[in-house]
Amino acid sequence: MSSHYEAPIRKPLIIGDKNYHDVTVDVARPVEGRANKQWWIAFSIALAAFLWGVGCVAYTVGTGIGTWGSNKTIGWAWDITNFVWWVGIGHAGTLISAVLLLFRQKWRMAINRSAEAMTIFSVIQAAMFPVFHMGRPWLAYWVMPIPNQFGSLWVNFNSPLLWDVFAISTYLSVSLVFWWTGLLPDFAMLRDRAITPFTKRVYSIVSFGWSGRAKDWQRFEEVSLVLAGLATPLVLSVHTIVSFDFATSVIPGWHTTILPPYFVAGAIFSGFAMVNTLLIIMRKVSNLEAYITIQHIELMNIIIMITGSIVGIAYITELFVAWYSGVEYEQYAFLNRATGPYWWSYALMMTCNVISPQVMWFKKIRTSIYVSFVISIVVNIGMWFERFVIIVTSLHRDYLPSSWTMFQPTFVDAGFFIGTIGFFFVLFLLYSRSFPVIAQAEVKSIMKTSSETYKKKWASEGHGHDNHSHSENNHH
Amino acid sequence: MKAIYKIALLAVASASLTACFDKSAPNYQYMPNMYEAVPYETYSEHAVFPNGKEGQMPAKGSIPRGFVPYEIPNTTEGYEASKANPSPLDSVGFDAPRAEQLFTIYCAICHGDKGDGKGNLPKREKFLGVPSYKDRVITEGSVFHVETYGLNAMGSHANQLTQEERWQVARHVMNLKSQL
Repeated sequence: MSSHYEAPIRKPLIIGDKNYHDVTVDVARPVEGRANKQWWIAFSIALAAFLWGVGCVAYTVGTGIGTWGSNKTIGWAWDITNFVWWVGIGHAGTLISAVLLLFRQKWRMAINRSAEAMTIFSVIQAAMFPVFHMGRPWLAYWVMPIPNQFGSLWVNFNSPLLWDVFAISTYLSVSLVFWWTGLLPDFAMLRDRAITPFTKRVYSIVSFGWSGRAKDWQRFEEVSLVLAGLATPLVLSVHTIVSFDFATSVIPGWHTTILPPYFVAGAIFSGFAMVNTLLIIMRKVSNLEAYITIQHIELMNIIIMITGSIVGIAYITELFVAWYSGVEYEQYAFLNRATGPYWWSYALMMTCNVISPQVMWFKKIRTSIYVSFVISIVVNIGMWFERFVIIVTSLHRDYLPSSWTMFQPTFVDAGFFIGTIGFFFVLFLLYSRSFPVIAQAEVKSIMKTSSETYKKKWASEGHGHDNHSHSENNHH
Repeated sequence: MKAIYKIALLAVASASLTACFDKSAPNYQYMPNMYEAVPYETYSEHAVFPNGKEGQMPAKGSIPRGFVPYEIPNTTEGYEASKANPSPLDSVGFDAPRAEQLFTIYCAICHGDKGDGKGNLPKREKFLGVPSYKDRVITEGSVFHVETYGLNAMGSHANQLTQEERWQVARHVMNLKSQL
């Protein structure tokens, strides 16, 4: 290992005396073991919330959108708020697995699998809102340009809502493929460890006969890199397209060119917060503290801090431009946000999104698991209110004062949202007990560069930094 | 073998999807949201009406805008009186091509294109006794009267033709009579 150069400043990503087998055992343990009582309690709660949501959706579809709190002025409220919120949450998964791969961030390896799972599960939640906020969801297939008997009547490709269809469906399918490709070696590991015929069979099917030959690995790496290269523009464009739903409108408060990057930044912000929430729990309950270390949490906190600051700049930019524009409607839209009847939601959004990430400047705070957990939840509340504020406060007071009104959600609005949270956790809890939650193949690939064991070894052998930098100097 | 299996599967699937279509009955509909009319459509049946029909009779004696009631009664005296009833059409109001078309549609099947009583139905002996216009003492007013009320074997044509159209046809009949 003397030829290897790794800066000694880098802290280990795998702590404890782990070898390859330990990684396998640690990753396989939650899958091979039995669910404990807490898991069943959490699962039951999530399932109940999900079923309640199913009931609310069935009631909406059966009775009509009038069961919601939306009205003639505010046609979009909780439905699209929740849609954008869930899509935003999903973005962190792709960010972690694709963008961090492009930037060769080794710390992503312990968290990418769960982040991608989170992406897929939250995009599924998001995708339900565009369908069920339709007045006639049974005709949802009309959004597809399918040749038909109406003289081949097609869709108009000018609507961002149609772009949403393409964006979300592409995003879900690419994320699914990316995730599943990465899962193949790990499923193969579970297959090879399986002791019951049933699990053997299941993991044989899902691992697609992965045998881990050199050629397979070479192609696996290339596919991962290509998919990461594809997923990165995709992830940026998906939330951009979602933001176009608002940015391309003529509503004061919506019609802004800053929306695309600002929505993407917000998506990363809320997505990383959700990853933090989930992983802080997961590392504890699945005993993965050796892989999802405090350093991982700190790095995610730093990203939350950076994107939170970007979002904060966007808020200030919006306010500045509103003032600078001289357009009284735009100025009123922001005055209304700050001092109107929904001032509390604006205040909540500002507090949660602008102030809370700034505490991450303090090392003591960003390396504290408890504070990180609280902040990650605060951020997601704030980001929910950001979407709510953008949508509802812009709509409820715009051009004609005669159309000004208020929005009051009903229990069905809330029930649908609670149902998606329940469904998300149903999927995530099932995932955490049947899927390898850490990409063990990837984690093993950094064993010799970033694990505590090897770091210690080099330090004791005097290899690494000093020796290597000498030879580096000799070369030059 | 696999291809044959797939084709068979496709055939079975498409057959099962189309098998339930019955040519003698209206086909199945997918979510017929606005297929059935909410308002009462013309000629439709509704239990809400006394005789179940959408087309209800107007009140007796009511006169719609743009309509002039025909005052001469449907009697022998009325028929005689109608002979002196002048046509409201002047030379500009008479539309010869349209009058001929209307005559061809509503009259020529019995009276013949020339008005000689040799229409398709008498020629094929479906019924007989359609006279030639040459043999009858008629005026524009009496033709209008007969078109309106019918006479002997002929029924009223007031349902098919408006008043104005009946006057058009009446003049066309007189033109045919002059050529016989």
